[in-house]
Amino acid sequence: MWRYTVRRLIQGVITVWFIATATFAAMHMVPGDPLGSERATTESIRQNLEARYGLDKPVFPDQYLIFLGNMARGDFGISFTQQNRSVNDIIREAFPVSAQLGVLAVIFAALGGVLLGALTALNRNRLPDVIIMFLVILGISIPSFVFAALGQLAVVRLNDWTGQSLLPVAGWGTFQHMLLPALVLGLGTMAFLTRLMRSSMLEVVNTDYVRTARAKGVPPLRVFWRHQLRNAVLPVITVLGPAIAAITTGGFVVELVFAIPGLGRTFVEAVQQLDYTLIMGTTVFYGAFLVLMVILVDIIYGWVDPRVRLG
Amino acid sequence: MTDHPQALSAADFAPASARPDAHGITRPSQSYWQDAWRRLRHNKRAIASLWIVIFLLAFTLIGPLLWRVDPYAQNLDRISQPPTLAAQTLLVERGVQWEGVTLPQWPHAPSREWLTDPQRIELPAPEAMEVVGDPHTLSVRLRWSPVANAAGYQVYRNTYRPTAVNELGLPLGETWAGNDVGYEDQLALTPNTYWYSVTATDGLRESEQFASIAVDVQLATTIESALARGLIPSRDAAQAGDYVAMPANPFGTDYLGRDMLARLMHGARTSLFIGIAAPLLFVLFGTVYGAFAGFAGGRTDDFMMRIADFVIALPFLLFMILIRVASGIGPGESGIMPLLMALVVLSWPATARLVRGQILQIREEGYVQAARLLGARDHYLILRHMVPNTLGVILVTLTFAIPTAIFTEAFLSFIGMGVAPPVPSWGSMSNEGLKSMLNSPHELFFPALFISITVLAFNMLGDGLRDALDARMRSRE
Amino acid sequence: MSSPHDYAPHDYAMTVDHLEVEFDTYGGTVHAVRDVSFGLRRGKTLAIVGESGCGKSVTVQALMGLIPMPPGRITRGSAKLGDTELIGLRERTLNRIRGNRIGMIFQDPMTSLNPTMRIGDQIVETLRVHRGMSIREGFKEAERLLDRVRISEAQERARQYPFEFSGGMLQRVMIAVALACSPEVLIADEPTTALDVTIQAQILDLMQALQREEGMSIILITHDLGVVARMADDVAVMYAGQIVETGSVEAIFHRGGHPYTLGLRRATPSNAPGRAQQLEPIAGSPPDLFHPPAGCGYFARCPHAMRICERRMPEPFELTEVSGRADEIRHRARCWLQHAQAPRTEGVNQNDAGREVS
Repeated sequence: MWRYTVRRLIQGVITVWFIATATFAAMHMVPGDPLGSERATTESIRQNLEARYGLDKPVFPDQYLIFLGNMARGDFGISFTQQNRSVNDIIREAFPVSAQLGVLAVIFAALGGVLLGALTALNRNRLPDVIIMFLVILGISIPSFVFAALGQLAVVRLNDWTGQSLLPVAGWGTFQHMLLPALVLGLGTMAFLTRLMRSSMLEVVNTDYVRTARAKGVPPLRVFWRHQLRNAVLPVITVLGPAIAAITTGGFVVELVFAIPGLGRTFVEAVQQLDYTLIMGTTVFYGAFLVLMVILVDIIYGWVDPRVRLG
Repeated sequence: MTDHPQALSAADFAPASARPDAHGITRPSQSYWQDAWRRLRHNKRAIASLWIVIFLLAFTLIGPLLWRVDPYAQNLDRISQPPTLAAQTLLVERGVQWEGVTLPQWPHAPSREWLTDPQRIELPAPEAMEVVGDPHTLSVRLRWSPVANAAGYQVYRNTYRPTAVNELGLPLGETWAGNDVGYEDQLALTPNTYWYSVTATDGLRESEQFASIAVDVQLATTIESALARGLIPSRDAAQAGDYVAMPANPFGTDYLGRDMLARLMHGARTSLFIGIAAPLLFVLFGTVYGAFAGFAGGRTDDFMMRIADFVIALPFLLFMILIRVASGIGPGESGIMPLLMALVVLSWPATARLVRGQILQIREEGYVQAARLLGARDHYLILRHMVPNTLGVILVTLTFAIPTAIFTEAFLSFIGMGVAPPVPSWGSMSNEGLKSMLNSPHELFFPALFISITVLAFNMLGDGLRDALDARMRSRE
Repeated sequence: MSSPHDYAPHDYAMTVDHLEVEFDTYGGTVHAVRDVSFGLRRGKTLAIVGESGCGKSVTVQALMGLIPMPPGRITRGSAKLGDTELIGLRERTLNRIRGNRIGMIFQDPMTSLNPTMRIGDQIVETLRVHRGMSIREGFKEAERLLDRVRISEAQERARQYPFEFSGGMLQRVMIAVALACSPEVLIADEPTTALDVTIQAQILDLMQALQREEGMSIILITHDLGVVARMADDVAVMYAGQIVETGSVEAIFHRGGHPYTLGLRRATPSNAPGRAQQLEPIAGSPPDLFHPPAGCGYFARCPHAMRICERRMPEPFELTEVSGRADEIRHRARCWLQHAQAPRTEGVNQNDAGREVS
């Protein structure tokens, strides 16, 4: 298990290096002058700025190596648009917001998906199954921004109807602010996980070892918890890595619609304003975070499935 | 020992003459594709989805030929109109300024005694209110009865009947004399029912008493504008006061008065083009790449798959945006091609992995080994075994890749990183619709509906295809 | 109607009477088990033999309440374990019997154990459910059981997972699980079919040894006459959802009274010295159980088919005993050839009396 973890971490570092390189390459293909005329108004200012951002050196290898060195030290540089603020500061401020939202959404999606999936499988072709699976198909087919809009509309109407502010429509700050965005963010993933859990559960229900457990006289509830649920959850865990990635980047839309000061919105704004260092910093940070999450999920999987842990 | 109901005779124990054939095979054989097609046909949801897809393609390809409305034509006096089937417009002369209504024998200001009276009461509301002439979207003319001791009047407009003074709505303007009892509203009128209210003021304080009137405003166009938009053939063909037919907006208009139906059709072109072309390209590339890696095996395979792993590790949406920005969109460009390219560059590895896995698996299958032993050559193996056995999986992947691509385009266009305005796409239309969601929900509803139906149809079609094509992948639904 | 064993002078651990099981499928109702009756003598092994799809497994799964309902359905019959009726019991009551008084092992040991639970825990589970043992006690007991099924280093093995075991080892574990509560009856559903031939012998030996030590009765489901010859005291031959012949293992092997039994024999290799190794397959395939025939199910394939066979299935005929051993069960065959009026047929052990039991 240790060797496996170390190997995965080394692979992860190489992957992050690749992400960083790809980011660097993409940003240097952007047409136009990074120091647009509105930033560098005179020649001396331009020279100052070029020196400050290291743009006076050749792109390869100097700028690239400096960039890699900075990334390796975790120094993402200084923002182009928000002068005197380091990218690290900006990320440090915005990431916890996105992370809180993401964690809530992942919990919501995973718990909901597993429970609903098990519920539908056990009530196969009966009313709860039919209703939930219909909603699941809707959940997979409706884009998150529509859910966001509908959610806001519903909250506005609810607040109007009750005459008090039950839930905020947008913004950030309290736990109430998180509820609706997290729900919207987790909904698509939850639908996907429900589907997966359902088919996984249906497979497990018909396995030989569940029959063995029943032949042993194990009570139904115990069969469900110890034999069915645990084995059915395994495939769900394997897709949790990509699911976390989907939720984290899905945060873009939700953060924009709900005016949440998270990393997704920071990235979109950075792109709109062509803030080179901020774009590169957030991209590499996101990449590293996702790689770490996937490794983490794999390790958790190994811990749950003895065949991986010991094999 | 018991007796049987019927006694048995010797004939019963004679050898049986004719017996059913115990060897016959009763069912006809069917090829893989015949069988798949039969199974697909029996899947009601998949067939319904197939029809939806055909309808969407017709909507996109044939629709604009039948519905010849320019999706870019703005019509600022028909902004955010709800869906209407038939509409006509009243032709009016341009810019005839109304001088208002001034009553010559009525005092233009309150008396000094009134103003200095500390005990004075609030002014009453005008007793009557009426519309002068035909109210239409270019002008609504109002007059009302004068109020004693008034120094002027305030005019308000709202979209519902006001019941209290704080519900009067938009303050349109005021008149500056007690005998000035007319007002012309020309402010951003749309064909609707408006509630106009008037309050009197004595010059010091505005009264909270108000008079209201409901006005049905009809659509009007100046003759010049009608001529410019091709509603009338020539200046002499019509005169002020005539009605001419307007193109209907079965799906309403957007925030710039553009026809939603035309935009949905052209948006479908963008969304479906990206949604279908990108998966075709990356599935094709991924298939070739994966098949090559699987065939080559060894170090080539390792190296090629390592590259695929790297590309998969890139945060998808971030790099979609980065690639789009890096490829740069000049003025007047739609940004469709960069989006397509970004999708292809980032999406191929999943297919490559899948196809490689299939090839590796098939290579080890007994029937391939057997064919090899019988001396089959590589190209025979590829054509006879590899292609037919992977085609199903590839087709299913393709079907599921389409909704994902449509989603991605919608998502990016929604956050303003997709196709460049004014080119319509369902995603950018949703984005624009979101802003006016509360007042005109149809602007968000229709593009969102189209995205959802399309994605739903392709997803269910994919489910059906998977069930029909591959018994091993068959879900237990 | 009297059951075929209630007058026999034997001590039965389990009796099954007129059991009928159906399944609703999209194609219609499958009559999988049709009027099956048999008795399992205490301390003995009863083998139920037949080709795949003849209803052997469904029969025992019906006894254990393991048939999914729906689509399955027990339409008739009873099964008694001692004095306890098994058919129609509530799940809770049944759970006190399953794993406790009846143990069961299955065909494929590789898939019959939970892949994410330790071997020991899976044995302990039975002990906890039925004996209320603590985990610590249970583990001790589990180690002892593993030892009994000849698994060495039981203490270590109990802490391992199924994927760390070979197929034969897993079948030993399955036996340990089934025997954890010292059941009166062990049902073994094709216990050696998925195993290598060398391992098969070991598992069979183990089962025999344990039977001697524990004195339990065994129902052995198999299609392998070699296994029957080695293990069984009594045999029931099943075809198309019905039992067509019952008798002692000697009677079935040497004095078969039903053409299907004889066909099975001829299709099985034998290593008896001096015997020609000419295997004869039984031509054709079993009847469609969606629409079971009114007459004998074997009619279409039987070399001796008579007119009556197509019309009606006979009740069992009792065959004359020649061995005369006191503890041998009655030999019965459901075949019209046993009727007094039937023509003499070579190769078939025909009854002189032609007495039909019903």
